[in-house]
Amino acid sequence: MTAIVMAAVAAVAIALLVILGKADAAAGLVTAAGLVALGLALTFRAQERTGATKEMQSDAVSKPPDPGDVQTYVSALELAPNPILVVSAEEADDLAGRRIAFANASARDLLRVAREGALLVAAMRNPNVLEAIDESLFAGMDRVVTYEVGGAQNRFWRVWTNPLPGTPARPRLALVIMQDETDLRLNERMRADFLANASHELRTPLASLTGFIETLRGHAKNDEVARDRFLAIMGRQAERMARLIEDLMSLSRIELNEHIRPSGVCDLTVAVADVADALGPQLAAKGVTFEFGLPAKGAAWVAADRDQLIQVVQNLFDNAVKYSPVGAVVTVDCEVGLTLDAAAGFRPDARRLSAPDGGRMSLQTPTWSADVRYAILRVADLGPGLARETLPRLTERFYRVEGQKSGERSGTGLGLAIVKHIVNRHRGGFLVESAPGQGAVFCVYFPMSSSPAGSPPSPKNDRNMLLTEPFARDEIKLS
Amino acid sequence: MRARLRPEFIFEMSMNEHTLKFFGEELNQLKAEVARMGGLAEAQVADAITAVSDRDVSLAESVVGRDRRLDLLQHDIERKSIRLIALRQPVAQDLRRTVGAMKMASILERTGDYAKNIAKRALVISESEPITPLTRAIERMGKLVAARLKDALDSYTSAELDQAMNVWQNDEEVDEHYNSLFRELLTYMISDPRMINSCAHMLFVAKNLERIGDYATNIAEIVHYEVTGEEIMGDRPKWSDAARDNAPESDLEA
Repeated sequence: MTAIVMAAVAAVAIALLVILGKADAAAGLVTAAGLVALGLALTFRAQERTGATKEMQSDAVSKPPDPGDVQTYVSALELAPNPILVVSAEEADDLAGRRIAFANASARDLLRVAREGALLVAAMRNPNVLEAIDESLFAGMDRVVTYEVGGAQNRFWRVWTNPLPGTPARPRLALVIMQDETDLRLNERMRADFLANASHELRTPLASLTGFIETLRGHAKNDEVARDRFLAIMGRQAERMARLIEDLMSLSRIELNEHIRPSGVCDLTVAVADVADALGPQLAAKGVTFEFGLPAKGAAWVAADRDQLIQVVQNLFDNAVKYSPVGAVVTVDCEVGLTLDAAAGFRPDARRLSAPDGGRMSLQTPTWSADVRYAILRVADLGPGLARETLPRLTERFYRVEGQKSGERSGTGLGLAIVKHIVNRHRGGFLVESAPGQGAVFCVYFPMSSSPAGSPPSPKNDRNMLLTEPFARDEIKLS
Repeated sequence: MRARLRPEFIFEMSMNEHTLKFFGEELNQLKAEVARMGGLAEAQVADAITAVSDRDVSLAESVVGRDRRLDLLQHDIERKSIRLIALRQPVAQDLRRTVGAMKMASILERTGDYAKNIAKRALVISESEPITPLTRAIERMGKLVAARLKDALDSYTSAELDQAMNVWQNDEEVDEHYNSLFRELLTYMISDPRMINSCAHMLFVAKNLERIGDYATNIAEIVHYEVTGEEIMGDRPKWSDAARDNAPESDLEA
C-alpha cells in the first residue's frame, strides 16, 4: 500500500521536475522535497525493482501536478517519522560542497540542522554513512549501512542512501533515509543480560531454599520448632527472590524505553510528598525523621513519567532510611530553575569534600542543551558514608560496597542502577557526594517543564522563599 | 557560480570582497575536512572499544589498518592550513579557525593512535581467558569517553560555546572511572598471577581511554579559543587533590 502511495507521489514529483527544469531554479526547495518523495518510493520498491520505475516516469510526464498537491506531499514528508535528508554535492573532492538540500522535521530534530543549507559533515560524521552517501552521489549506487551513535543514550540506525536524478541547479543529489533500530538491538542485548544477571543472583536464595527443603524432608521432619523456623527463613528467601525478579524486570523495562523521552509532566514536590506519606510505618519502626525543604506545589514541574519519578524518589528514600542510624534525621530539599552547570556543579556541603577519603561524583550527566532548566532533589543521610573509590561503581548492578554486612541483605543491589537508568531516560542527572563517617548525599535533577495547566512555574529560584514556605517544614514532618 | 558573472562585474567587484568570499569557502572546506576526520577518529575509538568488549579480532585488525587514513588526513589538513595562512594571511577569527583546524587535526590523529593501540591490545587480550566483569567495566568507561568525544566534536562543528564548556568541565567522571578500574585490575592481578598479562594490557587500554578523554577537553579548549579568541583561564574544576589525578598510590591492601 505504502509503495503505491509513494509511487503516486513520485510520479507527481517527476512531473514537477520537468516543469521546474524549464523554469528558474528558485524553487529548489520544493524540487528537493519532491525528490524525497521519489526516493522514498524507490526505496520502498527497492526489493521488487524492475522496469516499472521507467513506466511510472513516462506516465507522470503526461500529467503535470497541481502545485497545491505538491505542497501537501512536502508536508507529508515533513511529518514522516523517519529522518529524511536530501544531500546535494559539487565535485567529489569538495567536502564543503556536500550540503543538506532538505531535511524533514524528524531529521532536523535528530541532527540539529536547519531545513536546508547546512554542511553535511556538520550533521553526520560517521565515515561509513559518508562513504555510502558518496557512492550514491558519485557512483549512482544504492547502499544500506548501519551505525551506532554513542552518548548517554545509545542508538542504532539503519541508513538507506539512494541516488536521485539531478536538477539544473543541483546536478548531484542523493536521498538519505534513516530508521531507528535501537529497540531491536537493545532487546537482544537485554535478554542476554537479564539471563546472566538473574541466573547468577537467584542462585544464592535458591540454594538456601533447596537446603532447607532437604532438611525438612530428612531429620527435621518431625521437629516442629525447627520446621517453623526454617519455613520463616524460606519465606524470606522466597520474598527476596520475588523482589529480585521484580527489580530485574523493572530495570529491563526501563532500559528498553531509555531512548524514548517521557511525555508526561509531574510535580516533583507532590511526588516527594506521596512517597513520604507511604514511608510512615518504616520510619516509625526505625525512629528516623525526615526534614523537608521543598518548593510550593506547582513550582517544580518536571518533564517526567510519574511512576518512574516516584520510583526514583522511593529508592533514594529507602536507601537513606536503610543506612541511617536509629533516630537520625534525613534531610530532603529541592531547588528549581538551575542551569545544567549549576545542577551538575551543585555542591551542597564542603565538609564532606574536604574529608580525607571523601568525594563527589557524577553518576549520570545529561547531554548539554541550551535553555533547559533543572529541578534538583537532594537526599542527605547521616549513615556510614562511602569511600571515594566506591562512588563510580554505585550504579553497577549488584555492586556491594566492601565491608557491608552481607548476611541478611535487605536490598536487591539494583536500586541505584534503576535510579540511574530512569534519570538517563529523563535526560536528567544523578550525583553523589559522600565521605566515610559523614553520611551520603544523593542528588537527582530533572529537566523542568511548564505546568500542564498553563500557569508558569515560579520564575526564579529563591532559597529563602523555599525555606520559609509553610509547606516546606511544617506541613510534612514525619517521624 | 562565479562563471556566470559578466566580466565587467567581476572587474567592478572590489578585490577585497572577492578574496573574502573565496576565503570563506576555503575555511568551510577546512572545517568540513576536520569534521570528517573527527568522524573517522570517533569510529576508530568506538570500534576499538567494541573489539575489546566483544573480543572481536577482525574488527581490531581493521581498526589497526584504518589508522593510516587518519595520518593522511592530518597531513592533508596541515598542508591546506599552511597554504591558507601563506596565501591569504588570515587575521582574527579566520586565523584562529585556521590554526584551530591544524590543532584539531593533530589531536584527532593522536586520538586515532590511541584507538589503534587499544585495538592492538584487544588482539592480545582476546588470546587469554575472558574476564567478563573487567571487560564490562572497560566498555562502560569506553562508552563514556566516546560520548565525550562526540560532544566535543559536536561543539566543534556547531561552534557551540556552552556545549564545549560543558565538556571541558566534566572530565572528572572519566578520571574516576580510570581510578576505579585501576584498583580493580590490581585486585585481579594480586589474586591470580595468570591474569597479569591480560590485566596489564587492560590497564593500558584504560589509560589510553583516559587520554582520549583528555583530548576531548582539549578540543573543547580549541572551540573556546576559536569562538572567543581567549584561552580558558584557570584549572578545570576538580573535586579531588591533584595526587588522585594519576594512578592511586600504594594503598593496595585497603
